[in-house]
Amino acid sequence: MTTFDYHEPATVAEALKLVKQYGDDAHLIAGGTNLVIMMRQGLVQPKHVIGMRKLRELRGIAPTAQGGIEIGALTTHREVERSAMVARFFPALCETFGHIATVRIRNQATIGGNVVHADPAQDPPPMLLALNAEIVIGSDGKTRTIPATEFFRDFFEVALEPGEMVTAIRIPPQPSGVKGTYVKFLPQSKDDYATVSVAAVLKLGKDGTCEDVRIGLGALGATPLRAPKTEAALKGKKLTDKVVADAAALVRDEVDPLDDIRGSAKYKREMARVWTERAIKSLLK
Amino acid sequence: MSTHSIEFEVNGQKRTVSVEAGRLLIDLLRYDCGLTGTKEGCSVGVCGACTVIVDGEMVSACLTPAVFIDGSSVTTVEGLADNGKLTPLQDAFIRKGGFQCGICTSGQLMSATSLLASNPHPSVDEIKAWMMGNLCRCTGYYQIVEAIQDAAEASA
Amino acid sequence: MKFEHTIEMPAARDRVWSFVMDVPSVAKCVPGLEGLEDLGGDKYRATMKVRVGPIALSLGSDLSIVEKDQAAGRAVLAVDASDKRIGGAVKAQMTMQIAEKTPSTTQLTIVTDAQVLGRIGDFGQPIIRKKADQTVTEIAENMKKALTATSAT
Repeated sequence: MTTFDYHEPATVAEALKLVKQYGDDAHLIAGGTNLVIMMRQGLVQPKHVIGMRKLRELRGIAPTAQGGIEIGALTTHREVERSAMVARFFPALCETFGHIATVRIRNQATIGGNVVHADPAQDPPPMLLALNAEIVIGSDGKTRTIPATEFFRDFFEVALEPGEMVTAIRIPPQPSGVKGTYVKFLPQSKDDYATVSVAAVLKLGKDGTCEDVRIGLGALGATPLRAPKTEAALKGKKLTDKVVADAAALVRDEVDPLDDIRGSAKYKREMARVWTERAIKSLLK
Repeated sequence: MSTHSIEFEVNGQKRTVSVEAGRLLIDLLRYDCGLTGTKEGCSVGVCGACTVIVDGEMVSACLTPAVFIDGSSVTTVEGLADNGKLTPLQDAFIRKGGFQCGICTSGQLMSATSLLASNPHPSVDEIKAWMMGNLCRCTGYYQIVEAIQDAAEASA
Repeated sequence: MKFEHTIEMPAARDRVWSFVMDVPSVAKCVPGLEGLEDLGGDKYRATMKVRVGPIALSLGSDLSIVEKDQAAGRAVLAVDASDKRIGGAVKAQMTMQIAEKTPSTTQLTIVTDAQVLGRIGDFGQPIIRKKADQTVTEIAENMKKALTATSAT
């Protein structure tokens, strides 16, 4: 481990001042499950590490005035997984968080740390995209909110300017009668990242046609993705087996997966189609 | 490197230790506290050999900075038995053959202890889902699951 | 890792060749390349700053033109770079081939054969590959812009 100074600010305002003051020489640490590994391996060598332990105001889940929910950046994955409020709001969101790694990691790792790390194979982002989530970003003096779709820029890169930090993830109210599912395809070990993952949110009208559909894709590009072509091919249509299959086939053109140990690009592209189809079909039952 | 004085409780004993910013909990426990029961396996939080309980929740000691436990209560494998009297879980591990080489055992016991505290009568699926983060190269896991079931029944 | 990039340059063959051989001009097209030093004999030194998320690399690089054949329109650049702080190295060979398409356009093909070694190599070869691919694409685009700009003057 390289040498560094550890700071533990007592408030978000203090933390933001430190983030601004030290700039590129500093790194924030939330749960630490990722940063500690990178620091032990010498890949990241900050001169200052800013601990977020005392920032209690960033931990917790609360309803928003609009009828959605806001999850503080320091809320652990386990807290989201087991939250009665989140279960009432959108049960598939609890399930999504339950897919991350193991219980032990979920006890320690946080949603804020997760979105800032921005590994496209992570579990929460596809569901956050499918739910039209927004990322709340604080800096010394102000707060801004951007759609999650604009937050993820590239592998391990997010739209945070110097001096900024993620303070919360806000999920808007979902239309009534909407259902969701998160499918994590892992041909190897169950505690791993997905080979491909699909988050599907679907609302059927009274006549059985698709009123609204949103598909989030994980491990299929440089960032988590939506699937606009696939969504367009489903919206307004009666979801017969053929319609769903034809729409899912379009996913192949919407993804740009890597060749890696979890699968070849060709395999992942095909699995994206398979699991998108299965995810949508599972919501029709 | 900044140094920090941390106050914590480990296995019921209050301690104050001065640590460097980069000190990890696994090293604090093993070297500063002399509690070598916790093992380091993979160093990346996957294998579970370093599982300890901090403020009632199981965590990976290899990924936890020592400064994170300031003000906390930590339990390691050495803190399970009560004055030499083994817990039903430890006893079950012995009777059911829940270990062979023993390197993963501390972590298995801490995870299982945490499981039974949270869910005293878990189903086999619940046991497997919870214990997924504790790898074992010797037993093939069957006897670990049986030991946990046995301990759960013992406390019925 | 190996990849190939082909780009159409808006200039005649000879102008493209002169541009490719003008190392300081090409260096300006490489994102993150700083402090280019001409050591003579077709050898150069520079620092290449690359970021993959939180990992910031400062690669001290030795560059040399190991082959240049104007008649064949072919040049080979060898890159030997390392980041001592993080512990990793990049060794690459870039073969540039130009071919006239029309009197005012030339096709430039860059074949890159690169190895990423050490800690940075361990981080994730697939991501490095993607990043390297993006970088060479950017270099090619920047070269095209530079040629377009100068031909406008």
